[in-house]
Amino acid sequence: MMEEEPLDFEKEDRLLSPTNKRRKVIRLDDLLSDFYEEKNKIAKYKSKHSSSSKGYNSDDDEKTQRKKERMLSKFVDDCQKQVNEMNADDETLLWGRRVFGQQKSLSSIEHKGLPDCQLLQLQSIADVNPVFDLDAKQGESFLEGLLVNKWLSKLAFISGSVDDSIANWIFNKLLYSSNRELQVSACEFWLEMLLSKDEVDKPLVSLGWFPNYSKLMEALDSYGYQSDSSMCCSHTDQLDGPPENFRSWIKVVSACCQIRSHRSIFSSSEAEELLCIIIHLLLDRELQGLSLIINECMQSIIRYFKEEEWGVSCKRVAELIASRIPKDLNSLRVVEFVSVTNNRSKQLRGETALQLLILCFDKEVNNYEGVLEFLLSINVKDKDCDFLKLYIYLVLAENVLLSYDSDNKKFVTLDMWCKYLRKLSSQITNTDWRSYASKVRNKASYLLQSTIERRTS
Amino acid sequence: MKRRSSERRATAAAATSSCSQHQQKRHDNSNTGAWEENTMAILDSSGIKDSRDVQDDQLCFLEAVRSASLASDPPLAPSWRILNAIFQILVDCNSLELMMASYQLLIDLDKHYPRMYLSRSDNPESSSSDVSKIVVFEEAWSPFNFELGGEEGTSMDSCLFDSLRFSNLIEDIVETVNKSNVDLVIKPVGNLLVFQYLINVLEEDLSLRLTLYKETSNWLLLRESVLNILLGSRKLNFKSLVRDCMSILLKQCHHNILNNSQLLRTSEDTCIQSNQDSVVALATAFSELEKKTFIAVQIFLKLIMEFDVVRKQADSLGLTSRLDSFRLPILDIIVDELTYDKDSLPQFLMAFSDPKWKLELILQYFSKYLTKSSVRTRRSNDTQNDETLKGILSNFSTATKTKNTVKKVSSEAAQLLLTHAFQACLCLVHGPKQIASTIERTGATLPVICNSLISAFRNLREVDEDLEITSFAKEALFTAATVLRRKC
Repeated sequence: MMEEEPLDFEKEDRLLSPTNKRRKVIRLDDLLSDFYEEKNKIAKYKSKHSSSSKGYNSDDDEKTQRKKERMLSKFVDDCQKQVNEMNADDETLLWGRRVFGQQKSLSSIEHKGLPDCQLLQLQSIADVNPVFDLDAKQGESFLEGLLVNKWLSKLAFISGSVDDSIANWIFNKLLYSSNRELQVSACEFWLEMLLSKDEVDKPLVSLGWFPNYSKLMEALDSYGYQSDSSMCCSHTDQLDGPPENFRSWIKVVSACCQIRSHRSIFSSSEAEELLCIIIHLLLDRELQGLSLIINECMQSIIRYFKEEEWGVSCKRVAELIASRIPKDLNSLRVVEFVSVTNNRSKQLRGETALQLLILCFDKEVNNYEGVLEFLLSINVKDKDCDFLKLYIYLVLAENVLLSYDSDNKKFVTLDMWCKYLRKLSSQITNTDWRSYASKVRNKASYLLQSTIERRTS
Repeated sequence: MKRRSSERRATAAAATSSCSQHQQKRHDNSNTGAWEENTMAILDSSGIKDSRDVQDDQLCFLEAVRSASLASDPPLAPSWRILNAIFQILVDCNSLELMMASYQLLIDLDKHYPRMYLSRSDNPESSSSDVSKIVVFEEAWSPFNFELGGEEGTSMDSCLFDSLRFSNLIEDIVETVNKSNVDLVIKPVGNLLVFQYLINVLEEDLSLRLTLYKETSNWLLLRESVLNILLGSRKLNFKSLVRDCMSILLKQCHHNILNNSQLLRTSEDTCIQSNQDSVVALATAFSELEKKTFIAVQIFLKLIMEFDVVRKQADSLGLTSRLDSFRLPILDIIVDELTYDKDSLPQFLMAFSDPKWKLELILQYFSKYLTKSSVRTRRSNDTQNDETLKGILSNFSTATKTKNTVKKVSSEAAQLLLTHAFQACLCLVHGPKQIASTIERTGATLPVICNSLISAFRNLREVDEDLEITSFAKEALFTAATVLRRKC
């Protein structure tokens, strides 16, 4: 029998054991078996007591039987309800925000008509013209053909320049054309123009006209981008989502950031804003398939800043992001997606996590030590302890530490950090079935072990 | 040449540390071992049955590896088991989030901890100036495993790819892209990513070996390349593999996935989603990853083409032996396919965008028709195709010549091939990737080519009055005329 086994506290609290098995959801069967055990106990108890009175009454027995049945069925119903509630709880615990709302009509913004340029003046090719019926009057569709079939970029490379009017026209197609082929070709054209370099890092094509921040933002606005994302992830609203041009938008922003050595297209505050937007995009579940290009773009923008700008900009971006996103699982998604590949992304990740934590505590604290002190003061044994919040704090705090390089302070904070982890992993029992309790416990013991290993090595 | 695993990847990272600022240190194995145990334990799913929890754990695992191996200082190199587990997550693909995260992590880890690297020998004793060496980590994890033969490996290796599994994967992708209405489920989307990762590994491996081969002419390097082993296996039918790759590329031109999110959203209500990825999310992912897959297929074909050229060279130098099984060069197969199935010629030329190999392909196509076949035998040493674009164009220099040529190659095909050859030539002469040996293949300067192209088209028109000049060709002529105007 279960109740005869003494509880083995040691076994439970072996925090450094690598395999933390757990059971998060208490199933209907478990509740039922508990109930039966309880019932058996009562029955035994009763039989002991009633054994003295020898009177045997079958009516009584039947009554209690029926009563028990009713109790049981009510109990089962309750359990069912509880389980359903727990499931519903779980479902809401997904990150996700709708970042795009209603689109504006893009075709109204699309340039129609021919750009005014030298290229299409056909007198000089008059000898070819009559034979092959190159009709200049086809105008725009002829130019579109040149673009789609990649002749325009060849011509640009040969002449080493692009007419401003054509550059502008192509960029407009990139942002607004609903013709897929056309907008993809326009994007390829621009990427080639921006990124092609010779051996000494000089651009192969000298451009007179460049994409700029206001044009990009105008386009983003017409795609339906909403920076406040107050809307939750719901499918009831009739929302368009971004048009396909948006992918080209991301790619071209990324390319613009890669050519700072010979052209600063964005000011540093513009770049900060773009970085915020790109990171914000990560919250839209429908854009997950684009996460590779989004990530690439993010890395390009991070590299865009000059060394002397980065420190200030990084902090400003972190504050902006923290103020814009909800302090729930979404904040974890954002922090974890700032994928760490170099020092700057590490710094951005840590700074964002710190700013989020500070906002979580309503600015009662303003540095990492303060955060840790605050965390240590939370009573995890409290019945109303919100483990989801605790989990978010824990992951955020871990990420702050990751980027925390000032060595003199590091040891003090590491001590506090270990103390906190020890507290979490020892004070939460692994039978605590509340939502996220086991997640907090497991995470803390994992982190504790790796931190200790790291310090001893 | 080869170093054993004890000092494995940490040293590799050190060698490449010029690009990464991380100070890489070696760690004693016990430390890494404990970390590995601990991290693998996150994946332990005993006791939990909810798939959502399993996914959460997997995400947690990926994040833990990222922070330990890429973010922390000093970083811990991921072990074989860890890498294998990440790849397993990618292959199993339960959700978009996991798929994208595991792919990104594998790519990032490969960059930081390469499977092999070139080391310039700075040993003062070796007098041979600076011949580089390749350091391969024999026991490094790789998504390919050819050693187990036919038997099913242990459960640990079950996600690794051998030749058979690789060609099956490509067949699956063909099936997916051939459907007019793509089923929006997660598996085919995952396949695209797995394929891209595999190609990435193949490319990394071969390009490094090619670089070194050019310095040392050590054929062994290439014989041991993953690509060669992969294609050399009897379990793989090379010809049908190439055909499959071509048919994927052919879909590129007119494959439009339903991308009206409004429409998708309304249809969504009819099918109940068991996981959290909506149809719109899957459609977005699919159309984006499909585009990347087309690029990956082209890279794959290009790698084989490059390998074939070097193989031919090595053959003529007598470096190869009977150990190197004979395989038909890929260009021959493609040209054969395109001559049998003329309808696919325009699409294929559109889809295959690499200028160097496109020109090569077109030259070979022409020479197949125009060279006296009696002179040419398949395995003789002079199979080196020394045709140039100028040489081809000379077949169209007068009306009579053109007439003869068109008898062999139809005028439509000629029009198409010439235009594409011209475009490839423009790319090579003035494009972003200028190639020094271009003139060898074009045979003349750009203005000469432009002039011959225009007169070739005049002749084509004269010979075949019904020939409809496509808009693509018109654009080419316009471009040629514009180039001439600028040059004069």
